[in-house]
Amino acid sequence: MAANKQQGQWYGVFLAGLTVACAGIYQFSSGIGKVALVVGLIILAATFWKFLQLKPLEGKIALGAQPAAMKLAGVVVIILGWLIVLFGLHVASGVGGRMVMTIVGMIVSLVGVIGILPIACNKNAIWKA
Amino acid sequence: MKMFRSKFVLCLVMILSFGIMAHADTPGSVDAQLKAATAAAPTTADLQKGDPGGSLTGTINDVPVSNPKAGVTVADVANQVGQNKIAINFTWTLITGFLVMFMQAGFAMVEAGLCRIKNANHTYMMNFTVYACGLFAYWLIGFAIQMGGSAGNGNLGGLQPLSGEHVMNIFGHAWGIFGEKGLFLSGSTYDVGVMVIFLFEMVFMDTALTIVTGACAERWKFLTFCVSSVLMGAFTYPLFGNWAWGGGWLAQMGTNLGLGKGYCDFAGSGVVHAVGGITALAVALIIGPRIGKFNRDGSSNPIIGHDISAVLIGCFILAFGWFGFNPGSTLGASAAGCLRIGSVAVNTMLAGCTGTFAAMIYMWATKGKPDASMSGNGLLAGLVAITAPSGFVNTVGAAIIGAVAGILVCWSVAFVENKLKVDDPVGAISVHGACGLWGVLSVGLLADGKSNYGGAWNGVTGSVTGLFYGDPGQLVAQLVGIATLIGFVFTFSFVLNWILDILMGQRVSAQTEVEGLDIPEMGQLGYPEFVFKPEPEFMLNAEQAIA
Repeated sequence: MAANKQQGQWYGVFLAGLTVACAGIYQFSSGIGKVALVVGLIILAATFWKFLQLKPLEGKIALGAQPAAMKLAGVVVIILGWLIVLFGLHVASGVGGRMVMTIVGMIVSLVGVIGILPIACNKNAIWKA
Repeated sequence: MKMFRSKFVLCLVMILSFGIMAHADTPGSVDAQLKAATAAAPTTADLQKGDPGGSLTGTINDVPVSNPKAGVTVADVANQVGQNKIAINFTWTLITGFLVMFMQAGFAMVEAGLCRIKNANHTYMMNFTVYACGLFAYWLIGFAIQMGGSAGNGNLGGLQPLSGEHVMNIFGHAWGIFGEKGLFLSGSTYDVGVMVIFLFEMVFMDTALTIVTGACAERWKFLTFCVSSVLMGAFTYPLFGNWAWGGGWLAQMGTNLGLGKGYCDFAGSGVVHAVGGITALAVALIIGPRIGKFNRDGSSNPIIGHDISAVLIGCFILAFGWFGFNPGSTLGASAAGCLRIGSVAVNTMLAGCTGTFAAMIYMWATKGKPDASMSGNGLLAGLVAITAPSGFVNTVGAAIIGAVAGILVCWSVAFVENKLKVDDPVGAISVHGACGLWGVLSVGLLADGKSNYGGAWNGVTGSVTGLFYGDPGQLVAQLVGIATLIGFVFTFSFVLNWILDILMGQRVSAQTEVEGLDIPEMGQLGYPEFVFKPEPEFMLNAEQAIA
């Protein structure tokens, strides 16, 4: 279906919702600030609900289904690598130890980024069919 | 003896008297000098005759006085000196910010030139719209998250209104997580210095956002691009920006853990380019390759851009804008260490030069032709890589960093395409992601310990010094920064855009993609009077297979 009026209208609503939510954060200490934050979040939720309804109108896309579990596994591995780095900074005290822990964590994260996720995203790639 | 003692006392009294008189006389004499200078200054009648030589304009008469009856005082002169310093720094920071803003035009030309003519309008529009998306989101909340706790920059008058960093105590240390002041630039942040730093940081943020449009060109749904860009400008970029530049935990690794001067990124190889390049990889993975990019056996087809002249002119615009990017990151031209702006600018030029040579010669020697688009990418790769170390390395270091980036970008483009099977029409993941990470790493290797920006960096006394000049701790700090870019920024971007894909869909329909995005998404062709060449055979086959 491509770009259309409804998309434009609801993108405007999205920006308005974000603005109201941010105004709520800015004035959060006051009662009106809390109300504004809630109203803003409701507007944003409504916006995404509408986007979800508009999504099927786009038509068939040239992309195969990407296995969610495998993508999730990739994300978990990447996060795990980063946590190794963060804890390594405190577990190891010397520069050498911290360097080793950082490199180990980085390698774990890279396994997720260039190992698992590309395989997950290309598992049912349309060009393979 | 008694006579000697009385003479001694007499001398002492005389010396003290002269001292008191001299002390009492000092202000008077200065005031007298100021009055004499005022009297000697050209009169209104003199100035009415014109000043062709420029010797009459700009005198003591131009110093604002606090008390007109007293005339110009020492305090007035001192205040004016202080304001001149800040004015010089404001002007420098604003003008370099304007240069960075103009880089958007360079990005638009490079990306559109490397895409097919049927998607020209859409690609230009993404680069155009991202400016508004990013600016609006950054004004709402992004700036507050990034810079809301960054008070203390003496170059811009202290920026004291930005004094709200949210900290967490972990393992006995306080770590900055995000800023809290500056939403809507209102309240106490309605401040002259805050406005200057907002403009400068905003154009940097927008550079990161526009990198993603290149990797996802020719198939990104315009609506989802708009929403994704707003969220990146509001949250993804500002969070890492705070940790590196806003007083956050990466910058505090020097003071809290004794790792060099903490994470050091002078102008943003990591904060700007790697954040953009890594987000580009995340979105490109989700959005998938263009129709016809890969064959059934996994081999790839070159999809040639429509305008190599736009690409190379765009590269030159970007190189010009980089003189704002890197030298501007001193945030001043009149303070301790700011005179290194010349060194920073020369480093920037040199790395771009060696990056161009390295990529061009690599392609010429291995493929037989000095590929224009890869030469352009080599220039950009060198510039991206020198962005973080530009303020900390010497010219030899800069040349090495640029040359390594020029080779790295060629390898990375092949790796991303042939091994990861990720379609990146403009090479944004390699230019900004891979070379951005190399730039961050190079600080930890090649910083020569000669820079001195007011005697300390990130609150640690001394100069930023890399492994080859004696500080392995700095290398660890840089590696932690890289690990955070890969581990946090990538994950955050991937999950955010995955959710958007579920809710909105990231990709246009196959029919729209085959037709070209200009008419279905934009309602107008980029070049309506041009006759389209027929697609190559591999593309026709792929399009028929989809149909």
